[in-house]
Order: sequence, then structure tokens, then C-alpha cells
Amino acid sequence: MVSGDRLLRILGRLTSGQGPGLGTARLCAVCADVTSMSGAGIMLMSGDLPKGSVCTTNGVSEIIEQLQYTLGEGPCVDAVRQHRAVLEPDLARPATPRWVAFTPPAVRAGARAIFGFPLDVGAVRLGALNLYRDRPGPLTDDQHADALVLASVAARAVIGMQADADPGALGAELEVGTNFQFAVHQASGMVSVQLGVSVGQALVRLRANAFADDRLVADVAREVISGRLRFDHRDGQARSGR
Amino acid sequence: MSREALMTRTLVKLADTLVDDFDVVDLLTTLADRCVEVLNIAAAGIMLVAPEGELRAMTSSSEAMRVVELFELQSLEGPCLDCYRTGQPVVNNDLTSDDGRWPGFAAVALATGFRAADAVPMRLRRQVIGALNLFRTEPGSLTDDDLIAAQAFADIATIAILQHRSALEAQVVNDQLNHALNSRIAIEQAKGMIAEREGLDMEHAFARLRNHARNHNERLVTVATAIVDGTAVPGSLDPLSR
Repeated sequence: MVSGDRLLRILGRLTSGQGPGLGTARLCAVCADVTSMSGAGIMLMSGDLPKGSVCTTNGVSEIIEQLQYTLGEGPCVDAVRQHRAVLEPDLARPATPRWVAFTPPAVRAGARAIFGFPLDVGAVRLGALNLYRDRPGPLTDDQHADALVLASVAARAVIGMQADADPGALGAELEVGTNFQFAVHQASGMVSVQLGVSVGQALVRLRANAFADDRLVADVAREVISGRLRFDHRDGQARSGR
Repeated sequence: MSREALMTRTLVKLADTLVDDFDVVDLLTTLADRCVEVLNIAAAGIMLVAPEGELRAMTSSSEAMRVVELFELQSLEGPCLDCYRTGQPVVNNDLTSDDGRWPGFAAVALATGFRAADAVPMRLRRQVIGALNLFRTEPGSLTDDDLIAAQAFADIATIAILQHRSALEAQVVNDQLNHALNSRIAIEQAKGMIAEREGLDMEHAFARLRNHARNHNERLVTVATAIVDGTAVPGSLDPLSR
């Protein structure tokens, strides 16, 4: 099938829903649907670092995004850094081991094959589309070609969602359903006061704490905000407070 | 270099918009210079439509041609304008036996030394963005091969320009998206710092931030950034009225 037909077929799927606007949830659902994957997620990155998630189709793809946000490694991060598709058809038994921190919890969550595709418009790199399947196996040529078109359409869709926003504001469709980890930044603010360090250093401490305890940084942040976890004990170790 | 080799090399160069230092004027200069070489004509120039809707002479391979093109734009008559208006090639016009279509243009072109003028559209589907103009000092016809080559160059350059425009727009929107996200992140960080320092929950920390910004007629993000930078301390924010 030529790529023009492929594009038309995918655009047809995206626009066949009810109501105006595309919506982030539909965007992700169509990505998983068209490629017959178990789930999909779209991550935005700024430079080399994950910024947050535009959408995820289910709990597993949410964990995949959260792990990459916590650890700064994984298929989306590599897809953006290397500017190419990143394919891992057997996450539990990879031919070349990579993502030592990301892989075990991702497999435990239920991802057995995982694929990252960069989201770009020309030379502008927005982030990456991640697709996962609950059993191992490579993408067919057709699925791979569809994923490339989906990533390109998704990139333009995200740009379209932001295009009409007021200056300094997020586009309306990006306000709902997205996860830009605002709680983590609130917790960074709290920890920066607790430790007398910058918010950037505080975020590093939050991430390190999550990594050491094999947890998501969002969960650690929630404990900080609720006051159950503090970082300002005299020995420098974070521990449960109050 | 053979004509075929030169054509191939030109097409590849015109298609290469993904390089970091892509520049529309460079592209157009290449297009004009290669037309002169490959088609063995006296001069080539390009007119593009500006965002405001008027045609502008972007590049000319010779100063003599530039004068004629500027006259054409001023007097609003000539083969390039007809080509742009109709979106169709206007070719093989012997100016010495002018049928009176463009009396002013023919006179100026002849006085400058040109005897024949052709124009092919810069067009992608229904969108016409300008015209590629080919001037000769000898009357007579361009061959079909010449016209095919000229139109191929114009087509590739058109696609390159449109892709570049769309990438530029995407860059601007992506910058706005990152700016909006960074503003939000600064606000969340400041909320966390205020909450920790002043013993407030996030809702009241935000109320304190917003109240101060309103009282002092400052943007929320300005106050938040000052807190995060340490140029203002949470305790200096106006207290909430009871």
C-alpha cells in the first residue's frame, strides 16, 4: 500500500469519532488500534528529558510513561535522543540488554514488546509515541509503516492542539487528560525548602529516592505533599515523618 | 558534468530541507543558478507570494533580470504574473513579435536585452506560491525536455519551501508549548515552596500566590519565578485576608 493511502486510512480513523476536535484520548486509542498493540502513549520531551504525557490508553502504558519520567530512560527517551524508531520485540529477553532500571518494572507491569517512534515536524522534535504489546514479537512491516505515519500525524495533532492557545497558556485539549506531573513539581518545591537546595536539585533527590525504593516519582511526590515523607532529617536520609 | 548528472544533483539539493542551516534564499538562489546552467538560458528568477498576498521578486540570477521583474511587479503585467494568477505555465513568448499582451513589459525586457520569456508555476496541488521565470536573449522555443526540467525544479523547490514553512510554524508553536509548560512548572514549584515554608496546603499556597500577584498587578508566573529563584521568599508574600 502506498503511503498516501495509509495516511488517508489513518486520518479517516482519527476523524470518524463523534463531536468536534480530536482529543488526546482518541489520538492514543487510534495509535494502539491501528497497529493492533495492547496500548499506546504519547510522551512530550524537552531536549533529552521527559516533560510529561499527552495520553495513555491503559494502566500499563501509563506505568511505561511514568517509569521513563522517573528514570530518564526507555524507548521514548531513546527514540528522541537517537532520532529514530527504537524497537524491542522481546523486553524480558532482549538480544541486547538496555534500560537496566526501566526494563524489570516494565516487564512486571505487563509489557513484553515495546516500541518508540519519534514525534517530529521537520527538524522540530516534540517527543515520542510508545507502543507496547503484552506478548513478545516484532512489528510487521505494515505495523511499522503505520506507526511512522501515526507518529507524524500525532506530532501535527499536538502542534494543532497548542496552535490556538493564548500566549503563556496550554491549549485547551492539552489541559485535559494530559499528565505533566505537576505534583512532582510541587513536591520539588517542598523538598527544596526542606533541604535548602534548588528545585532542580530537589527533583534529582526525588528521582533518586524513587529509584532506590523501586517506585514511581509521582508516588514519592504524593507522600511528600501529604507530609508522610520528609527529606530534612539530620542524617540526610529521607524518611517517613509525622 | 553531464546534463543528467547536474539535474539529479540539483533535485537532491533542492529536496534537502532537513539540514539545520536551511535557508529559503539559498534554496532559491540555487534554483535560479541551476536553471541557467541546465536550460542554457540567459537568466532565471523567482517570485514568491508574501504572507500579505502580494508577489515579491525573491531572487534573480542577473541584475538586468531583476530590473525587468521589478518593473513587472510595478506595472502588474507580464508572463510571470499571468503564470502566478493562472497557476499554469506561460511559455515560449517571443517578445519581438509581441501580440500586445504585455506592451510595457515587452518594451522594458527588449530594452534590457531579453528577447523571450517563460514562466512555470511554483505550485503544490491547488496552492500556488509563486513563479519561476526564465529569460532568454535569443527568441525561439524551449524544448519539451527543458520545460519538464524547469517544472521539476520548481515543484521540488515548492515542496521544500512549504515543508520549511510548516516546520517553522511548528517550531514557534512548540516553543510556546514549552514556555507554557515551564510557566506552569514554576507555579507548581512555588506552590510547593510556599506550602512547606508557611505550613499551608497546596490550595492555600496557590491562593497566597495569586492574591499577592493580584494585589501587586503582577503576573502569576513572575511572582512564582521570583520565589523559585530565591529573589523573593514565601514569607514576603501578602498574607491572605481572613
